[in-house]
Amino acid sequence: MTALLVRRVIRLLVVCLGVSLVTFSILHASGDPVSLVMPEAPEADRVVLRQALGLDDPLAIQFLRFFGNVATGNFGNSFFHRTPALSLVLERMPTTLTLTMLAMALALAVAVPVGIYSAVRRNSLVDHVATVAVFLGQSMPVFWTGIMLILLFAVQWRLLPVSGWESWSAVVLPAITLGTFSAPLLLRIVRSSMLEVVNLDYVRTARAKGVSEWMVILRHALKNAALPLVTVAGLQFGLLLGGAVITESVFAVPGVGRLIVSSIRQLDFPVVQAAVFFLAMIIVGVNFVVDMLYIYLNPQIRVR
Amino acid sequence: MKRSLVMVLALAILAATSVSAPAQSKDTLTVALISIIDTLDPHMHFERVGILVNINMFDSLLHKNVKLEYEPSLATSWKALSDTVWEFKLRKGVRFHNGDTMTAEDVKYSFDRVTEPGKEKKRSPQYGNVRAIKEVRIVNPETIHIVTDKPFPLLLERLVFFPIVPKQHLERVGDQAFGESATVGTGPWKLLEYKRGHHIRLEAFDQHWRGKPAFKHLTIRGIPEVATQVAELKTGGVDIIRNVSADLVPDLKAHPQTSISSAPILRTHYVHLDMRTEPFNKKLVRQAANYAIDREAIVQKMMAGFGRVVPTVVHPAAFGYDASVTPYAYDPKKAKELLAQAGYPNGVDITLHSNFVEFRSVFEVITQMLTEVGIRTNARMWDPGPAWNKFNVGEGKATHGYYGSWGYYSVFDADAILHPLYHTEPGGWVGKWYVRVEGLDQLIDQARSTVDQAVRKRTYSQIQRLIKEEAPSIFLFHQFDTLGVSKRVEYQARGDEWLWLFDAKPKR
Repeated sequence: MTALLVRRVIRLLVVCLGVSLVTFSILHASGDPVSLVMPEAPEADRVVLRQALGLDDPLAIQFLRFFGNVATGNFGNSFFHRTPALSLVLERMPTTLTLTMLAMALALAVAVPVGIYSAVRRNSLVDHVATVAVFLGQSMPVFWTGIMLILLFAVQWRLLPVSGWESWSAVVLPAITLGTFSAPLLLRIVRSSMLEVVNLDYVRTARAKGVSEWMVILRHALKNAALPLVTVAGLQFGLLLGGAVITESVFAVPGVGRLIVSSIRQLDFPVVQAAVFFLAMIIVGVNFVVDMLYIYLNPQIRVR
Repeated sequence: MKRSLVMVLALAILAATSVSAPAQSKDTLTVALISIIDTLDPHMHFERVGILVNINMFDSLLHKNVKLEYEPSLATSWKALSDTVWEFKLRKGVRFHNGDTMTAEDVKYSFDRVTEPGKEKKRSPQYGNVRAIKEVRIVNPETIHIVTDKPFPLLLERLVFFPIVPKQHLERVGDQAFGESATVGTGPWKLLEYKRGHHIRLEAFDQHWRGKPAFKHLTIRGIPEVATQVAELKTGGVDIIRNVSADLVPDLKAHPQTSISSAPILRTHYVHLDMRTEPFNKKLVRQAANYAIDREAIVQKMMAGFGRVVPTVVHPAAFGYDASVTPYAYDPKKAKELLAQAGYPNGVDITLHSNFVEFRSVFEVITQMLTEVGIRTNARMWDPGPAWNKFNVGEGKATHGYYGSWGYYSVFDADAILHPLYHTEPGGWVGKWYVRVEGLDQLIDQARSTVDQAVRKRTYSQIQRLIKEEAPSIFLFHQFDTLGVSKRVEYQARGDEWLWLFDAKPKR
C-alpha cells in the first residue's frame, strides 16, 4: 500500500514536470507577448519590457527559473496587469470545480439509473429511447446545446436567467449543458457493463438463492459493473474540465476556462501556466481517487 | 428511472421558483463587455474593456463630447506656450471618491506614475503613449506645465484618456489594493463591488463636479459570447451591448425591446500589399487591385450600410484628411488593362491572408472581385491570436498581403495610422515588412515633428496624394460602431467607441 502511494507521488511529480514543459514550449513557440502588450511602441521600449519580464534570457534558463519558482509556489505576475497569476487562477477555481462537479453529478444521476434499466429491460421502450438520446447527446456540440437551452428556457419561456453565476437559478443551464456532454458515454458504459454481468454465474446463483431481483441487480451486479464506470467517469472529469471552457464562455461564468482562453489570446504566459498546472493537478488527483476506488471495488487488485 | 424522474421534478421546481430573468430596477444601467479586466488601475493595462470602465470612474484633464470636440474636464483651459511647453489650468474644488480634494500634486503624480522619470524599466504599458512627456511642473496650485522632449502634436489627444489618480490615497493603500478594492477617482461613478472576470458594480458619486449621472447604479458584466449578449439584451438582463455584427442588426431592430445605435468610427479596413515581391512590387498591379474592388457594394450588401468608403487609409474624421483626394473608382476593365500593361496579360496567382474573422465574408468578396479581373486570389483565413501575430507582425511573412483593419487607438490624427502601417523604421509596426514607397518615411517624420498644424496638414495632403498614386494598400472603407440598446435607455453610440455612460438616460 505504501509502495503504491510512493509510486503515485513520483508519477505525480513527473506529470507536473511534463505538463509545465509542454505548456512552456508551446507558449514560447507561439510568439512575442511584448508585441501584444505594447503593439505601437518602438523597439527600444520593447527591449526594456522584455528585460523586465525576463524574456531575453535563453529558453532553458527561463524554464529552470519558472520551475524553480513554481516549486516555491510562485507563478509570477500576469504580463498584462501585474496581478499575481496564482491568485487569478485560485479565485476562479471554485467556480469551475462547482460547475464540473454539478455536471458530473447530473450526468451520473441520469446515466446510472437509465443505464441499469436499459440493460435489465433490454429492447424495452426506455432502452430504445435511451439509445436515440445517447446518439443525440453525443453529437450535439456543447456550444450549440448551451445556446439552444438559453433560447428555450431563458428567451422563450423566461424560466431561467440567460447567463451569470450569482444565483442558483443561473447555475442550472450551464450544469445541464455540461452534463449533457458527459451523460451519453456514461450511460452506454453502465448499460454495456451491466449486460456483461447480468448473465454471469454468480448473478444466476444469487437469483437461485431467492434474492429479490432488484437486490440482485443493485447489490451484486452493479458493484462489479461499476469498475469500468469509475474509470470512465474519472477520465470524463478531465474532459468536463475541457468542456467547462466552452460552457463558461457561453454562459458568462467566471471560471478558469475563460481565464485560460483569454490569457492564451494575449500570450500571458504566467497565467496560462498557472491555470494549466492546476488543472493538471486536479486531473492527477481525480485519477488517484479512481485508483483508490478501484482497490475498494475490486479486492483482487489489492492482493496483487 | 424513478430517480431521474425526481431529478426532472426537482429541476422543474427550481425553475418555477426562481425569479424569471432578473427584472432590473429602474435606476440601474447594465452594460455587457466581452470580458472584465483583471485590474481597475487605469494606468496599468492597455485594454479597451478596461478603458471603457475606467473612463466612468476617473476623469482626465480633457474630455470629448459626443461630437468629439474637446471639452474641459479636470483642466478648465489650456494653451501651448511654446513648441514643447503646454499650460493647463486646473479645475478647483474637485473631489475624489474618498473625499480628498484634487490638487496639482495629484496631477503631477499621475503622470510621473506612468513616465517614471529617471527609471530604466517602466511598469506601465501606457508609457509608449506619453513617452514624449519629459516633465510635469507645478507652477502654482491651479496651474501645471507639461514639457515634452520634442514637439508632440498628439499631446491633447493623449490627455483625453489619461486618468488622474489620488496621490496620498495611492501611497497609503498601495498599487495592488488600488487596482482591486480601493479604486478611487474623480469620475461620475465610484466602486461598489468588483468581481474579477465577472462583473463590476458602481454607484453614482454624489459629489462629482458635473453633477449626478441619471442612473444611480451602473453594472458592467463580462459576457464573452455574442449570442448570449443578444439573449440578455432581449430579456432585459443588460441594456447596452457593443459590436453588433451586420447579420444581427435586422433582428435587434425588429425586436420590441431593443434598438440599434450606430456611429462612424476610426476603424479603417484595407488590404496591405507586400511590395517586396512579385506581383505587388509593380505599381500598376497595385493600382489594378484598387480598381477591381466595388467598395460601395460591399458596404451596402455585406455590412448593412454600416460603413463608408475612404479614399486612402486616412479617415475623414482624422486630422490631416484631404477631401480633394478621391477614392479609386470601381473599374474592372481598367484593372485588366493595367494588369496587362504590367506584364500579366493572362492574370496572376496570389495569396492573401486575414485573421479578421468578424469580416470573413467581406474578405471572401474582396478575393472574388480580385479574381474576376485576373488577380486570382487564394484566401487564407487565420485564427486571431499568437500564431497570426507572429506570422504577420513578428516575422512579416504575410505574402502577398493581408486584409485587416486599424483602429487608430482612438487618436483622431493621420499619424496614428500612417506611422504603424507605412513607416519602415525597424521598431515600427508592419510598415517595415511590407511597404517600400520612396520618400514616405521622411514625410511621416516631418509631419510628426512640428506642432504647426498648417504645416502638418499640408504634409498629410502630400502623403495622401502620394499613397493614392503608389497604392501600398487596397484602400477600402471605415466601419461603424453598432450598439444594441434596450428601449428603456437612451444612449447614442460615439465615434471614439467610448461608452461614456454619464450621457445615458432612462427613457420615460
